[in-house]
Amino acid sequence: MKEQYIRQVKKELHASRKRKNEVARDLNEIFASAAEHGETERQVVERLGTPKEFADSAAESFGVENCARRNRKGILSCVVSFAAAVIAFAMYALAGLNQTPDGAIGQADAMTGIQVKGAFGVDFSQVILVIGILAAAFAAVQTVRALRGSRRKA
Amino acid sequence: MDNRYVQQFKKGSLEMILLSLIGRRETYGYEIITELNRSASVLGYAKEGTIYPILYRLQEAELIQCRLAPAAANGGSKKYYSLTPKGKEVLRELIRFWASYADCVNGFIAAYRQTEVSEE
Repeated sequence: MKEQYIRQVKKELHASRKRKNEVARDLNEIFASAAEHGETERQVVERLGTPKEFADSAAESFGVENCARRNRKGILSCVVSFAAAVIAFAMYALAGLNQTPDGAIGQADAMTGIQVKGAFGVDFSQVILVIGILAAAFAAVQTVRALRGSRRKA
Repeated sequence: MDNRYVQQFKKGSLEMILLSLIGRRETYGYEIITELNRSASVLGYAKEGTIYPILYRLQEAELIQCRLAPAAANGGSKKYYSLTPKGKEVLRELIRFWASYADCVNGFIAAYRQTEVSEE
């Protein structure tokens, strides 16, 4: 119970290894002192609150935001926007391929192809390109942010 | 009495209380909690989850320092806290402020009591 609690606090605490070890040592002392005075591990755990609570308030004192959730969100939006950029660019490239059909069989359909292009084909692919560029830019910004955040924590 | 106004008082003064406690003599976690709990009727029961973050903060601000001493019965080590010169200086200032703060608040209370008396 004690080991599990300490392990969980270390996991929830987003601080340097040195600080994690310091907090783990302090928790060991808390449990040991309590045991010395006849308290059970369960009683100590009940008093300490959840590992997350303990980790959060410790992190706050270290002057670091215990922002695992926010950071995880940052990484997620990073991945999503990067994927969106890749999809948008791929769609743009595909649209480009459609514009100049060089397959001999496709040539027969060239007329209808041109009509579609005239209606919304060109605009649509440009919109997709813009979306792709925006998504790529957003992904880049998020990546820089996430990296900077994790460096500040270290 | 455990409303949020009282909570605010405690929150604001706990750092000064800890500095005073540690300033008396070198002390360690469990002793600090035990000492605090002797005043539990007023302060409420002290919990490690409240005290340790404050200790980290005071240490971060270089107001307290600590040393590890092996403790056989404790299955490892005990961390002994003491005030740094900076901590002593800050505590002196805080005590000075606390005195004038108390005077000030008491002044308001005294004035209020007077109107209460004259209304009767």
